[in-house]
Amino acid sequence: MFKRLGRLGLAALTLATAPLLADDDAPQARERWHQAIDQRYGVLVDASERLEASADRFCEQPDTSHRRRLTQDWLEAYQAWQAVRFVDFGPIEQQSRAWQLQFWPDRKNLVGRKMQAWLAADQPPSAEQIADGSVAAQGFPALEYLLFDDAMQDDEALTHPVACGLMRAIANHLADGTSALRRDWQRFGDHYRHTASYTGATLHGALLALETLEDKRLGSPMGLTGGAPNGYLAEAWRSGRSIRLIEGTLHGLEDTFLPGLKTLLARRGEAALADDFREALDRTRRRAAKMSSGLAPALDDGAAFSELQGLHVQIGQLRHQLEEIGGTLGLARGFNASDGD
Amino acid sequence: MRRRELLKTVAGLGAFALPGLGWTLPGWPRASWVFSAVDDTEGRHYLQAVSIEAGRAFRIAVPERCHGGCLRPGSTQAVLFARRPGRSLHVIDGDARAEVARVDAGPGHHFYGHGVFETSGRYLYVTANRIEDAAGLVRVYDAERDYAHCHDLPLDGIGPHELRLMPDGRTLAIALGGIRTHPDYGRAKLNLDVMAPALMLLDRESGEITARHSPSHHQLSCRHLDVATDGTVIAGYQYQGAEWERRPLLARLSPQGDFTEIELPGPLTDELRQYTASIAIARSTPRALITAPRGHRVLLIDSRDGRLLASHHLPDAAGARCDGQGDFLVSSGRGGLYRVGGDGSAPQALESLAIRWDNHLT
Repeated sequence: MFKRLGRLGLAALTLATAPLLADDDAPQARERWHQAIDQRYGVLVDASERLEASADRFCEQPDTSHRRRLTQDWLEAYQAWQAVRFVDFGPIEQQSRAWQLQFWPDRKNLVGRKMQAWLAADQPPSAEQIADGSVAAQGFPALEYLLFDDAMQDDEALTHPVACGLMRAIANHLADGTSALRRDWQRFGDHYRHTASYTGATLHGALLALETLEDKRLGSPMGLTGGAPNGYLAEAWRSGRSIRLIEGTLHGLEDTFLPGLKTLLARRGEAALADDFREALDRTRRRAAKMSSGLAPALDDGAAFSELQGLHVQIGQLRHQLEEIGGTLGLARGFNASDGD
Repeated sequence: MRRRELLKTVAGLGAFALPGLGWTLPGWPRASWVFSAVDDTEGRHYLQAVSIEAGRAFRIAVPERCHGGCLRPGSTQAVLFARRPGRSLHVIDGDARAEVARVDAGPGHHFYGHGVFETSGRYLYVTANRIEDAAGLVRVYDAERDYAHCHDLPLDGIGPHELRLMPDGRTLAIALGGIRTHPDYGRAKLNLDVMAPALMLLDRESGEITARHSPSHHQLSCRHLDVATDGTVIAGYQYQGAEWERRPLLARLSPQGDFTEIELPGPLTDELRQYTASIAIARSTPRALITAPRGHRVLLIDSRDGRLLASHHLPDAAGARCDGQGDFLVSSGRGGLYRVGGDGSAPQALESLAIRWDNHLT
């Protein structure tokens, strides 16, 4: 009995049903994605290094212009991260790197609590101590606390040696982390290019990024997902830069995800779908760019809130559009694939 | 090819031509419900029950996403568990089509999503986290006293996940994932550099850990397993290290206690993307089925030597269990429920519902 079944089993290996994406006709798309993501990780590394240098300069000479520059560099690096945040596979998955860069959501204000604990110490931590400590105190939200929290608004607060040392340690850890991330992305290249299931994974990452944008980054603080509106559920509420981060994500999808998608669709004779998606993405990004930067203040302002609603609707449409594209390409939506246990 | 088609047809007819046969499982010969945690398309959470041969189904709304479950021998009850870091277990009665009890993990604890009864159906063993020090525990509950908590069995390790009862009725086989998490930190993994996963055997009466087998790499998180009637254990890993490294994703413990890892063909290992979900071993044949949702695959192996017998494409393959007749039931996050042949034949769709089946079938 088993002998016969064994032979049938081998037949099944070769006859397994093959949907569109399982036929690997997509190495060119992955090649483009790998390059585009590599460039974007490069932008993140450069921005993180500028932020680190800016933190050092400010601590050595804490004047208004250095402070302004520091804030600007923080935002640019944070936006550079948003642009590649849709990549939720590969080296970003190692050592909880995505959490290290951005601990969010943070319903228990762990960022605030951990930063207060570090600030109460006699000595600032080293970058190694930051690396070994809480993930909530390692990334952009931790720096945001130092730059924007109410407790830090006194002119002297950030120039205090402990606060400045803490900021430099975090910025140092962040710059080290992003450059290791990029190095690993390059090492990951052959595997990514040669493994067919990463086509689906990349599409899925972009789709999940739009879902997260619609439901969690916008819908949840706006009170559209069940609870009451709550500005503290927004990202970057301390700095009031929530919409700037959303803009960063849309920019990244356009710049980094779209080229590979277009390659994929063009091979199926569906290039028009990619053009439609690009137009919608571009329209949504330009809309976000024109909006004021904060989300929480818009919750109490009728006109600003309807702007937010408009953005929310457009992002929902983008998501729907990408779902349709996924259907055309035979993408298997991964409920268990993306967040199993 | 023709013979294979024919076999498939016969197997399909056989399954439907014998109504009332049910899923023949040890301790519960007439159990006819299949249970699973599901989400609907709006993201609401339910416990779903389906009786395929009777064409019936019901579902119960629950407040949180759930994960695995187990049948209570000698009853029509099943218990399903909240997903990490959930705090509830739900007792469902198939006949009453209702949730008949809900038990909280207790202060300072959460469940990991799996549990198992001993053969009398009285004591329930549930993997749990003591949050304060991340100590992995098996919490023991007495179903005859309204699921009162009896005591805890410490595991000297972090992150126990699925557990099953060995054929001796006394030993628990436990997949220890090794990953430290904390509810305040959501699903962030907090100890990836210093993980210590294991496939463990625990004497449920004495609490003694009688075996602890370490995977070949400290980031191979041992998560799911099933036990064959002869005592063979097949366990599934989820690798937490670099995705471009090729690591074994399955392990086998022989009835004699020899621990080995199963090598799959390299390109197939790559396609699985470091992730396995459910393991199910047939009752009467040496066949084990593994679901791999990231690779959108189900694998069939020979549980005696780990030899690969079949690999089928099945989108978002998630839950799996044996059907008691040599075949397997497999669910998909896309809504389908399939029968996958123990003879290596391809998946056949049985049902398709507008739901997302979660990781496991019970």
